[in-house]
Amino acid sequence: MDNKTIETISYLARLKIDQSDKENIVKDLDKIIDFIGQLQEINTEKVEPLSNPLEMTAKTREDAVNSDNNKEIFLKNAPNSDEDYFLVPKVVE
Amino acid sequence: MKINFKSVTDIKNLLAKKEISSKELLDETFDSIEKSSLNAFISLNKEQAYKCSEAYDQGNLHGDLAGIPIAQKDLFCTKDLRTTCASKILSDFIPPYDATVVQNFNDAGSICIGKTNMDEFAMGSSNETSYFGEVSNPWAKDYVPGGSSGGSAAAVAAGIVPLATGTDTGGSIRQPAALCGISGIKPTYGRASRWGMIAFASSLDQAGVFARTAEDCAIGLNQICKYDPKDTTSVDCKKEDFSEAIKRNIQGIKIGIVREFDLSNLDDSVQNAFQNSIKVFESLGATFKEISLKNIGLSVPTYYVVAPAECSSNLSRFDGVKYGYRCETPKDLSDLYIRSRSEGFGDEVKRRILIGTYVLSAGFYDAYYKKAQQARRLIKDDFDLAFNEVDLILAPSSPGPAFKKGSKSSDPLEMYLEDLFTISANLAGIPAMSIPHGFSNGMPIGLQLIGNFLQESQILRAAHHFQLETDWHKMTPEGSMQ
Repeated sequence: MDNKTIETISYLARLKIDQSDKENIVKDLDKIIDFIGQLQEINTEKVEPLSNPLEMTAKTREDAVNSDNNKEIFLKNAPNSDEDYFLVPKVVE
Repeated sequence: MKINFKSVTDIKNLLAKKEISSKELLDETFDSIEKSSLNAFISLNKEQAYKCSEAYDQGNLHGDLAGIPIAQKDLFCTKDLRTTCASKILSDFIPPYDATVVQNFNDAGSICIGKTNMDEFAMGSSNETSYFGEVSNPWAKDYVPGGSSGGSAAAVAAGIVPLATGTDTGGSIRQPAALCGISGIKPTYGRASRWGMIAFASSLDQAGVFARTAEDCAIGLNQICKYDPKDTTSVDCKKEDFSEAIKRNIQGIKIGIVREFDLSNLDDSVQNAFQNSIKVFESLGATFKEISLKNIGLSVPTYYVVAPAECSSNLSRFDGVKYGYRCETPKDLSDLYIRSRSEGFGDEVKRRILIGTYVLSAGFYDAYYKKAQQARRLIKDDFDLAFNEVDLILAPSSPGPAFKKGSKSSDPLEMYLEDLFTISANLAGIPAMSIPHGFSNGMPIGLQLIGNFLQESQILRAAHHFQLETDWHKMTPEGSMQ
């Protein structure tokens, strides 16, 4: 895995990789990618991908309110909030 | 009265006959947690548990499992009780609701005594990735209990609780059950609700239970194998009474041995235990047949594409905004996301998020993710064919017994191979169980029974009759029970 790839995926994953750990992390990732790479040798022509063992259509339900408004309870777990909102650093100057 | 290692039914009888009060039972339970010093629990639920015991002792707590102490894996949301998933990022998280599995056990009257330690976000096979420290194996303190549900397995193996919950994404119930010398079952995907379970890999995750015996596992499954409209992948099938189903003998049952599982590389003691267990089943009237799962060798690489891909997507919800850890003084929103996640997740979790992001990223998707989903189909088709010929499949639960702490943690691939025999059942979505069937260098080893879709009763029945003939499940770290 080259430098550019590791930077791209760590950015996509919103993870910062410390320079001091980078060598070890890349070494581990390379090993794992090499290991999963063996899948490319198998013949999967005409094999339908299986994304879920149940292969059923997701059930739908009526779009009805079925519980009370729990806003206060949910906001209680937020690191920072005011009465109605989750608070984050200023986005628009 | 010493209650350690007693079965669910024994404890139920003791309580019913008032030979022990619910309060005394909890005193003993919390006392044994302290004395065991296994680090099997992340949080205890003392106050609420004693409230329940008071209700029980006053005749106000009812249900199939009234008064039975249970430990919940710290991956199930518990209302007003801290739920961490063994991660720094959730170290202060207090869920506003109960997971359905937790609710099921509460409704049955069992008493949640605490939340058990585990690998961070269930990613690991040794319980060494927990932010709250490693768990010791009750059989030897410098050995791992297995993972990811290591705390639950250790708590049952040490005789602290008769019943504990776990989750199994690639072997996280069966492998620790094997390494701790107890019984543990992962039902069919969709049979127990995933609602309120903190997601790792949604197409593989499944809740299940640990107990000393198949009989007690059946009691546990009776509570959680129910249709749940809150889980869109919940299977709407007829409710079964597993305790009743296990009684019938296994005369005439057909069991498959997988040709592709090469056991010759395993320890002699593991091979011998396997051969001896085959003889036990034969004496019970089972017949054996070699079957072929020709793509089974693809299981581990397939899993290490599918699971990280789903994990990278699921764990994107931890962003330091809505709940969980937030970094100090973020300079802008991007910095808040990146630092909260980088400081909040441990190394193995980050590794899997990165692999998942890689295999899902543009240019690699077809080569890895799509290919793995196709391999998954091939693996499942093999099982479908095999179950035309046999009722159950027998295999080891893990390549060997528990290993020393630290001995595999430096090499992720070596750790991944711990799940060599368990992963395929998750990919196919079928039920599987581990029961104790021998020892290797003084440490317990497990036998795996894999069943067809929704055939939990078949697995439990075979396991129960095996346990009627053998004493492995009666062995405890403190000696034999009889």
